[in-house]
Amino acid sequence: MRLRTIATLTSQAVRNLKRPTCMTTTVVVMACMLALSLFTLVAVNLTVIGRQLQAGVELRVFLLPDAGPDAVASLERSIRAIPGVSRISYVPKDEALRRLEAQLGDENGLFIEDMPYNPLPDSFDVSVRRADEAESIARRIQELEGVEDIVYGREMVRNLVGALRVMWAATGAIAVVVLVGASMVVANTIKLSVLAHNREIETMRLVGASDAFILFPFVVEGLLIGVIGAAVASLMVFAAYSLLIRWIGSAAPFLKLVADPAWLASAALSLVGFGAVVGLSGTIISVRRHLRVDVQDV
Amino acid sequence: MVRMYGVTKVYPGDVVALDDVYLTVEKGDFVFIVGQSGAGKSTLLSLIYRGTVPTRGQVFVDGRNIVRLRRREVPLLRRKIGAIYQDFKLLPDRTVYDNVAFALEVIEAPPKDISRKVSQALEMVGLSGKATCLPDQLSGGEQQRVAIARAVVNDPLILVADEPTGNLDPETSNGIMALLSDVNCRGTTVIMATHNQAIVDRMRRRVVEIEAGRIVRDERQGTYCHEA
Repeated sequence: MRLRTIATLTSQAVRNLKRPTCMTTTVVVMACMLALSLFTLVAVNLTVIGRQLQAGVELRVFLLPDAGPDAVASLERSIRAIPGVSRISYVPKDEALRRLEAQLGDENGLFIEDMPYNPLPDSFDVSVRRADEAESIARRIQELEGVEDIVYGREMVRNLVGALRVMWAATGAIAVVVLVGASMVVANTIKLSVLAHNREIETMRLVGASDAFILFPFVVEGLLIGVIGAAVASLMVFAAYSLLIRWIGSAAPFLKLVADPAWLASAALSLVGFGAVVGLSGTIISVRRHLRVDVQDV
Repeated sequence: MVRMYGVTKVYPGDVVALDDVYLTVEKGDFVFIVGQSGAGKSTLLSLIYRGTVPTRGQVFVDGRNIVRLRRREVPLLRRKIGAIYQDFKLLPDRTVYDNVAFALEVIEAPPKDISRKVSQALEMVGLSGKATCLPDQLSGGEQQRVAIARAVVNDPLILVADEPTGNLDPETSNGIMALLSDVNCRGTTVIMATHNQAIVDRMRRRVVEIEAGRIVRDERQGTYCHEA
């Protein structure tokens, strides 16, 4: 197809966009993209916060009282070799007692001074890379010789991992609903557009227009609906998100939202790309049903 | 130019439109297809520009078997064939000039050629002065002349006309037939389905009569009804 023809057909598609049905569809696509981008932002931020929390998940491994230096060294090597363990540090019982004293403060510290001996065992502090692996790592450590008990925030880890899974599943579901729902709305609009140009299409076929020539304006129309809807949605969301980042920065500085400009730009572009996919899917559905007629129908 | 061998067309519901038709139309012929409504005239014309495909049999146009054409080759066939209809099939929101130019724009002809060829075609049909009018501003005869200009602007090998005078008064019909004769004299093969007895009898061209999907008469310099 020649550039001049492409320009002519594209301007025809742009003219079609001014029809009320196209406007309405663009707004519907925009609303769908708003919902999708909001869920994506929430899911991404929860994941980042979750990762920060996961990095803080630590197992405290208490050793049997009679473990000698060789056994402790061997146990440390074994724990370090377990996949998913990021850091391990040995805490002798004297150090554990000092920590306890510090935690209890000056008043209760007197109580510790009165104890005839140090009742605390030697231990390891073990950090894991991912919170959802904490439980299985704890089970493997428990099986090692010389380990008496393991303590960690089991419930907290479970809740955190569960919440993140639900959030991402919801985001995935919304993406599918947006893809299918918005595509159907676009398909319906393109169908109306095809019907509005029925006479023109019939004449085009009779005078020997190629399929590409006939389809091109509708493909561009669907593509523009998807891209414009998504672009407007991403502008709105990311403008609001920038304000939110600024507000959170002053109101709750301990909450670190994702604010990397490169990431935000790529997310906006991905949303526009997704809009293009929605627009094209809708057009393809419609064109297959209403335009790709067999020779008997001409 | 057009050859049909044993062509049968059955529409859904076992409606037989054409039944074992053999027909040869040579280059430069002017052929009237006559017969009652529902006899199969329009189906026969439709087979030529591949508006439909036969259930059985073969159709050759310009030496090519068009039954076996791939989908993307069909537009190339149609660029060799001009078509006009009883209802003109003009685009109501485009001017006379744009309607004629449309046939060249869709095949991506160079703008220079479009301007020259459209002017020539409008001059041939006597509508140069109405190039900027919309179809609604023209009479039925003028609209059909625009349709003829659009059909011939691409210098087709064949002109297929399905009842082109069906909606026109006798005088206007004569004007349209004079134009089609002119097109034929320039070398274009004309195949025209009609109910207009006066025209067929006056022009004395080849007449092919169809009855219930079968060719029952094929006469050189024939008349609308069979002469005993």
